[in-house]
Amino acid sequence: MNPWTGKAATVEEWLDLLRGHPEIMANVTHWHTQPAKPARTVPMPAGMNGKLAEALASKGIRELYTHQAASYRAVREGKNVVTVTPTASGKTLCYNLPVLEHLLADDSVRALYLFPTKALAQDQVAELQELANLMEADIKTHTYDGDTPPTVRQAIRNAGHIIVTNPDMLHSAILPHHTKWVKLFENVKYIVIDELHAYRGVFGSHVANVIRRLKRICRFYGSNPQFLCASATIRNPREHAERLLGEPVELVDDNGAPSGEKHLVFYNPPVVNQQLGIRKSSVLESQKLAGLLLKSGIQTIVFARSRVRVEILLTYLQDLVKRELGTKSIRGYRGGYLPKQRREIERGLRSGEIRGVVSTNALELGIDIGQLQACVLNGYPGSIASTWQQSGRAGRRHGSSVTFLVASSNPLDQYLIQNPDYFLGTPPEEARIHPDNLLILLDHVKCAAYELPFEEGDTFGGEKLSDLLEFLAEEKVLHRAGDRWYWMEQAFPAHNVSLRSAAQENFVIIDMTEGHKVIGEVDRFGAPTLIHEEAIYIHEGVQYQVEKLDYPEKKAYVRQVNVDYFTDASLAVELKVLHADRETTSGPIVRQYGEVSVTAKPTIFKKIRLRTHENIGSGPIHLPEEELHTSAYWFSFAEEAEAGMNANDMQMALLGLANVLIHLAPLHLMCDPFDIRVVPQVKSTHAKKPTIYFYDRYPGGIGLSQRLYEMHDELLEEAERLIVGCGCLSGCPACVGPIEEVGLLGKELSLGLLRRTRGTA
Amino acid sequence: MSGGLRERLERLRAQAAAAKAADEAYIAQAKAETAAEEREGAAAQALARPGAAGLDAASSTGEAAAVAVAREAEKEKAQSELHPSFARLGVEQADNEFGSFLLRRLAYPLASRHGLYELRELLDYAPWLEPVASRQNKGADDLSGLPIEAGRLLFLDTETTGLGVGAGNVPFMIGIGYVEPAEGKLYVEQTLIRHPGEEKAMLHYLLGRMANRTHLVTYNGRSFDWPVLAGRYILNGWRRKGPEPGHLDFLHPSRALWRNTLESCRLSRIEQDRLGIAREEDVPGSLAPELYVKFLSDGDAAHLEGVYLHNERDVLTLVTLATHFGALLAGSGRLGLGEEAAGDGIPEAAEELFRTAAWLDAHGRTDRSERLFEALAARQDEAASRWWLKTALRYKKLGRFEAAVPLWLRAADRAEKAAFPSYEAHVELAMFYEHRAKNASEALRFAERALELALRRPVSAREQARIREEREGLRHRVERLRRKSRGSRT
Repeated sequence: MNPWTGKAATVEEWLDLLRGHPEIMANVTHWHTQPAKPARTVPMPAGMNGKLAEALASKGIRELYTHQAASYRAVREGKNVVTVTPTASGKTLCYNLPVLEHLLADDSVRALYLFPTKALAQDQVAELQELANLMEADIKTHTYDGDTPPTVRQAIRNAGHIIVTNPDMLHSAILPHHTKWVKLFENVKYIVIDELHAYRGVFGSHVANVIRRLKRICRFYGSNPQFLCASATIRNPREHAERLLGEPVELVDDNGAPSGEKHLVFYNPPVVNQQLGIRKSSVLESQKLAGLLLKSGIQTIVFARSRVRVEILLTYLQDLVKRELGTKSIRGYRGGYLPKQRREIERGLRSGEIRGVVSTNALELGIDIGQLQACVLNGYPGSIASTWQQSGRAGRRHGSSVTFLVASSNPLDQYLIQNPDYFLGTPPEEARIHPDNLLILLDHVKCAAYELPFEEGDTFGGEKLSDLLEFLAEEKVLHRAGDRWYWMEQAFPAHNVSLRSAAQENFVIIDMTEGHKVIGEVDRFGAPTLIHEEAIYIHEGVQYQVEKLDYPEKKAYVRQVNVDYFTDASLAVELKVLHADRETTSGPIVRQYGEVSVTAKPTIFKKIRLRTHENIGSGPIHLPEEELHTSAYWFSFAEEAEAGMNANDMQMALLGLANVLIHLAPLHLMCDPFDIRVVPQVKSTHAKKPTIYFYDRYPGGIGLSQRLYEMHDELLEEAERLIVGCGCLSGCPACVGPIEEVGLLGKELSLGLLRRTRGTA
Repeated sequence: MSGGLRERLERLRAQAAAAKAADEAYIAQAKAETAAEEREGAAAQALARPGAAGLDAASSTGEAAAVAVAREAEKEKAQSELHPSFARLGVEQADNEFGSFLLRRLAYPLASRHGLYELRELLDYAPWLEPVASRQNKGADDLSGLPIEAGRLLFLDTETTGLGVGAGNVPFMIGIGYVEPAEGKLYVEQTLIRHPGEEKAMLHYLLGRMANRTHLVTYNGRSFDWPVLAGRYILNGWRRKGPEPGHLDFLHPSRALWRNTLESCRLSRIEQDRLGIAREEDVPGSLAPELYVKFLSDGDAAHLEGVYLHNERDVLTLVTLATHFGALLAGSGRLGLGEEAAGDGIPEAAEELFRTAAWLDAHGRTDRSERLFEALAARQDEAASRWWLKTALRYKKLGRFEAAVPLWLRAADRAEKAAFPSYEAHVELAMFYEHRAKNASEALRFAERALELALRRPVSAREQARIREEREGLRHRVERLRRKSRGSRT
């Protein structure tokens, strides 16, 4: 420690100081240290193009890490490859090396690079251009996306060696106009897909179909490209890649990159209300930790789960350190910032000029910001994979780094913070896709038919293609002539298919008390019950009343009020089982998997007086009903599990259990918590028994509930462990839910039911 | 089809609409991004050359020949089976080594009239279109200097199943026109495919008609008809060798002349308002895709009668339009309708007068434009006065200040009286007197007046920065001129 500046010379020194602070250490539930790892390298492969080797040497690369060499070898052998290594392990070289080498030897070769975002695409072009310049080779790399000016598009299509784009652009601009891309499609040898793990869920299912279309067009032009993929750590990289590409893929995961010592500190904010299980705000605690780090001169990244939290944390932190560092040295980073501004921040981080950044998961992907020293996660990012990915932003090849995981009071966070072994011992989640979801598949069959007529005997995905084609012909979308189906609509189908689901869209909350100020956001599914007109919306402890909800524009206009009640909306959810595809009986439980129809409509809201909780009024909610046909998994309890509970107790037990399970499910599915929903029914319309349903929140289902059906036993085991492990008295938001919701006996009833079911009572 | 799947699809479709609505914002953005894809055609300049657009037939001719023999036998039978509507229109089946399609062939004597012109006038005026062709085919070396001959033009208009130039848009009808001067005829041919499987044969036929012809004459063909057709050749397994066909696309010249003076630049509007052609009972082109789908589903050719007639008129109008622009460049164009306009060949609307003159200038016909600019300068009406400045600017560029100065003076005079005064003319005059006439005091007078007007002019928020800069510039000019005129006095 420098006594004059108060700055720690190293992260180690700072951590030593931290250990001497009992008021902070009291909240540390676990301290995990990962030892430093030396580099494992191999010499440049014999026969590597001399120009390329020279260019690399001039960048200081004289040997390859083991994973780089392994993927180079596999690509040379003509295999599809997926490379899985952590952040900053030099994974771009894994695909750039073989591509550039081939291009040096043969000028006619083409490569297509896909990145999930435009920003990543631009990074990549800069890197490739630098290498090309070093080699003095005429290798043209271009981004092709919505920002590409029309005047240069034709030149790029004809002359670009490497086209860098995103799946959305491939879907709506390149494939439907493939005749303009003859040069590319006739000569494409490599298709590079980076950030493979980002293509999961609905988005991934769409992208898998875009790749089916891409391969179909390539076949038409007589090319058969190799796929070179890279992914962050997930449990099933190879399986995921194979499902996405529909081809065998070789896995390379022997990471040879060095890393310094890493500390992962689990931090649980102290409890401030024992009875209600309320903890101190994770935002304030994150701010405190980040402030300590920044004041000591340690370059830090803070991840927050929403845009609004980013802004709140940013304001706090800038204020906190403005005298030492100046506000410019701490920046925010999230979607909604202009590209130019983002580039500037990325540069500042690399040069060290910017000392701190507060970001959403926008910086989780491989954007080059160099390596920072410390990372503070405000709340569990939602998946083990994301957590590692974000914490990987801190960690230099030499020297120590530290990541703080600051738990919020959300049950998932609490489970993890109290079970560090679960987090550390569990491999990251699986990435799951369901490309044969009928709606998604049908959309892409349309797009594919537009691109090229289908012929008898063609295949596309898992469903019987001729049935789909016949269906589309009946709908007069396709026209059958002989053994071919032709597109026959005036419309351009790709314009009506978006790859990214609308579920990520949020409603913005605008405070009109003084001018117009955005104070927060609510996700689309929460909107009907939280920000319907006349609702009392509480934000940062302040009450606001919703005056107008602009549903199509996704805006809620609120005004600050001071009233002694809150509002509670009723959502009428009806769930009907259409048919069950699979069924298993184990002990007193029958579990099934199949298709359901769900209708949800907010009906009325009640005004409930604070403290006394008496009902002091109500009103109707006028919002459209939503109907959903999807796949679901459900399980019903036989009488012996009920053990004579009355209906009311059963209600509470089911509710409590459902609350626990719905928080655990996304953890195992690596999906957004809003992708899966739960409905408990005391007497199900379907089996007349107490039942808990889970359904995919996407028309047709995306394979989530199917996976839950398969891991049913594991799920219940986890649930029991979570309830038992929770320190609350009789239910809190971190386990079965607050007593206001599940009653005073909720925790006991849920646990009893669970134990009788599992035979652990 | 399997009942289960059907049922699932029906169920899913009900909610697909709801899901779609939610995705609209995203889709709107995606559209904005890909709309550029459609627009760029207009920006693409690199189009080239004529003639036997070298194509490489992918299929083996031996196989094709065998098929052709078998087809020959069926031909007569097929012809007798054609729908009566086809017979009424004179449509016949045509065959080649790639299969069959339907062909309608019409011959017009060159002495017949379509609107303002007789068809044979094309022979006289086509060579005058050379500057248009060289502007539209920049970078096509083999086209440059090539004379435009009426007999080597191919007039082309397609009817397609959809919009845009994506791979799923199929031209189901191709209308072409060509002149055979020796026979004294204009031929209009219309191909039709009874289903998309006949496309290859139709495209092959078009290739034959393109051979030995230098330019495609179209209305928006550079960015629509031809890119669509080029894509179809690729989709059918043909690769173009050598350069692209040349273009004479009259959408661009039409816009240059009529963009503001006509209600729209649709071909039907231009025909009616500028070419003296009235269509009766016309099926709008936008309905063609729908009618074709009807024909596909019930096989009733009656749906297509209107499409045939519409397309035929379009091809004929292309001939008239080409003749009209050729005549303009030749200096004998009929620039308007009605007796008063036809008389002196001067457009009535001031803007059209200016745009026509400027268009002639841009095509190197300053000799022809002169009369129009003079006419504009001579007019005193409010509409004309708005074009004085631009006309004066043209004279200035040519160094003809004797013609520019009176216009500036008149424009300055008018500006003084305007509620929303412009001071451009004053600035021009100040510059002229300072640098050309070397009359510092006259220059100062106009500069001071310009500054006064600039200060008087109400400023909108959008213009603020620019106006402030201009005021600053004027202040400097005034100061400099004051110093100068003081200097010259002492």
